[in-house]
Amino acid sequence: MGYVAVEAGEDVIQRAEELFEKQRVAGESEQVSVEQVDEQFTRLTAQAMSEGGLYAPRLAAIAVKQAQGDTAEAAFLLRAYRSTLERWGSSTPTETVDSFTTRRVSPAYKDVPGGQVLGATKDYTQRLLDFELTDDDGIDPTDDWDVEAEDPPQLRNVMDVLREQGLVHDPAGDSDGGEDESTDETEPFDATRDPVTYPAPRSAILQELARGETGAVTALGYSELRGYGQVHPTLGEVRTGELPVTIEHPYTGDEVEVTSATVTETECVVPIYEKSDDPQFSFGYGLVFGRNERKAIGMSILDAAIQLDGEGPAQDAEFVLDVVDGIDSFGFIEHLKLPHYVTFQSILDRIRSIRERTTAASADEAPAPREVNADD
Amino acid sequence: MTDERAVGPVTDAESVEDLLDGVRDEGLAGYNYAYLDEHTKREVRRGVLKAIALPGHQVPFASREMPLARGWGTGGIQASLSLLGPEDTFKVIDQGSDESVNAANIRRLATRTADVETTTDATEASVIQTRHRIPEEVLDDEQILVLQVPITDPLRRVDGSDDANRQRHAHGNYSKMWVALYENVVEYGEIKLSSRYPVLVDDRYLMDPSPIPRWDVSKLDDADNLFLFAAGREARMYAVPPHTDVEPLAFDDRQFQVERFSEQACEYCSSEDTFLTEVETDDGNRRYACNDTAFCEKRQTDSELSKAHHREGTDHAWGPPTDPNVPYETDGDREEHRTADASRGEEE
Repeated sequence: MGYVAVEAGEDVIQRAEELFEKQRVAGESEQVSVEQVDEQFTRLTAQAMSEGGLYAPRLAAIAVKQAQGDTAEAAFLLRAYRSTLERWGSSTPTETVDSFTTRRVSPAYKDVPGGQVLGATKDYTQRLLDFELTDDDGIDPTDDWDVEAEDPPQLRNVMDVLREQGLVHDPAGDSDGGEDESTDETEPFDATRDPVTYPAPRSAILQELARGETGAVTALGYSELRGYGQVHPTLGEVRTGELPVTIEHPYTGDEVEVTSATVTETECVVPIYEKSDDPQFSFGYGLVFGRNERKAIGMSILDAAIQLDGEGPAQDAEFVLDVVDGIDSFGFIEHLKLPHYVTFQSILDRIRSIRERTTAASADEAPAPREVNADD
Repeated sequence: MTDERAVGPVTDAESVEDLLDGVRDEGLAGYNYAYLDEHTKREVRRGVLKAIALPGHQVPFASREMPLARGWGTGGIQASLSLLGPEDTFKVIDQGSDESVNAANIRRLATRTADVETTTDATEASVIQTRHRIPEEVLDDEQILVLQVPITDPLRRVDGSDDANRQRHAHGNYSKMWVALYENVVEYGEIKLSSRYPVLVDDRYLMDPSPIPRWDVSKLDDADNLFLFAAGREARMYAVPPHTDVEPLAFDDRQFQVERFSEQACEYCSSEDTFLTEVETDDGNRRYACNDTAFCEKRQTDSELSKAHHREGTDHAWGPPTDPNVPYETDGDREEHRTADASRGEEE
């Protein structure tokens, strides 16, 4: 029966699952605990939460552990779980200046209100492999720091300075024609509950970008810088902090803080003027769960590029949103592993038929190889 | 609109830990019946009704992430799970086979969460989920065939933008598709589309019948059963209701052609009227076998079994070459065709 293609039953699936799980536990070292993943691989869990569209650090740590470190798979686990949950309501809009900011740099100005806050970063560290990590002594290098307890800094938004001067275009004033959806602040679009159709409201675009795959957001954003577009932004600021999540109390109606979420936020301006008679910077916004600056910056470039609605590939909202989602792209790319022998038989029939015809039509002329479309 | 619903909690677990314990259970405790929450299932069913009301029209729906990877049948399983009840019998086929790993995985999800009976017999199932095939045995008006769809729009072949294509559908403007087919004929002498052959539904909407082989296309026309098409990744569904006209695009002088097997018969059941797939063997031979494995098993015990054997009072089978209304060119006819082409070429 060797020639009957990939067939198997449930027991085979079960065994494949068990083999995969064995890979995780087969090593000689102790198992990584969910707590360790949560505390020591925050970039992994942040990426999984961001792409999964669910802020849940502990569930993300489980997902990363279960996926053996594959962020796409971990994000997928979170999304699949999330899709079984009811959506109880929306949080109230929060100003990011209210966040407990741990890092804020502004490339636009040398000095900014509140100052540059470098925070924790490897940006200026030489990328040398640290062999001492093999004998990790667990010593905290900041143990002997003498830091006075300060109130959490509430840093004024750099972009507000430009806004007050009337230099920044406000996308909320734009209209896609007809009803102005983007100025309706009461209920932003939720792409997890309603299918996105085009032209899409900006809230849907921002949501899909925020859930986009980090590599895809980075690559598409880079395409603008690399010459396939005009958006080369100046960042107003890049900020990481704890953003309070507030809801309206169901009985009192007061706004109450229920939790907080680590987010990275970027605002950028682009010297492409929206109006020639009243020149203003174009504006791009990026906000992602967790610490992920390249995705936040990439998102802000894409937001600005899509608003331009020009010829560049990253300026086409439909193109960007169709390809940016990691769950969609990884699923469909990997589906090519599934059996395709029915469709391939159909393709074989076509190519043979066309070759027969070509051979018959020009018996003395060798037929040129033709491309046959296998687009499923 | 979405906030006005009043649906109870999907779980009565006290904490995340309880919920996780539930997930570890074999029966997927902690999850709702048939996995999806009731609001989602209602929404999918509303989409199904709209799709039935507008044959061939793509209806957007808020596709949920499923515990299967996107592109692996997530649209189909959302449609199936929204339709299934405990009384139903469910069959899952992937490229003609019940035993394919992905079919087994989908069937496992349905049995674990929806507690349905499963079968491999196409005549026994009330709901059949399938990837890229329509069964050889004729379906009846009690049955629903759910087809998994990778690419929802036939116009995607000529334009990548759904926005532009939706306008074409609204205007019934399929000229770009016709031109593409014409260019095919000019370039190759015939239409080179293999599976996913574009069809016109009820003389209104151009539809992608999912990557079924051309062999199965005629089964969509005036069938007794309901065909549902669902795409999870692309968040669209569409339908061909019973007794709807479905016609593949073709030209008067370039007929729609199904796959031919040049008088090959199935290695196992000797059928010559079923869709075969070929395999190259280790000893360098090429062999053909029925693609619909469940029907092939029946034919192995009764080689004369009709594709409509289970339908009392009618022996009208479907699909080439059993349906007299479906042209199935023999190689001889093709030879004539080719000669005619050649002589026409000389005249020019």
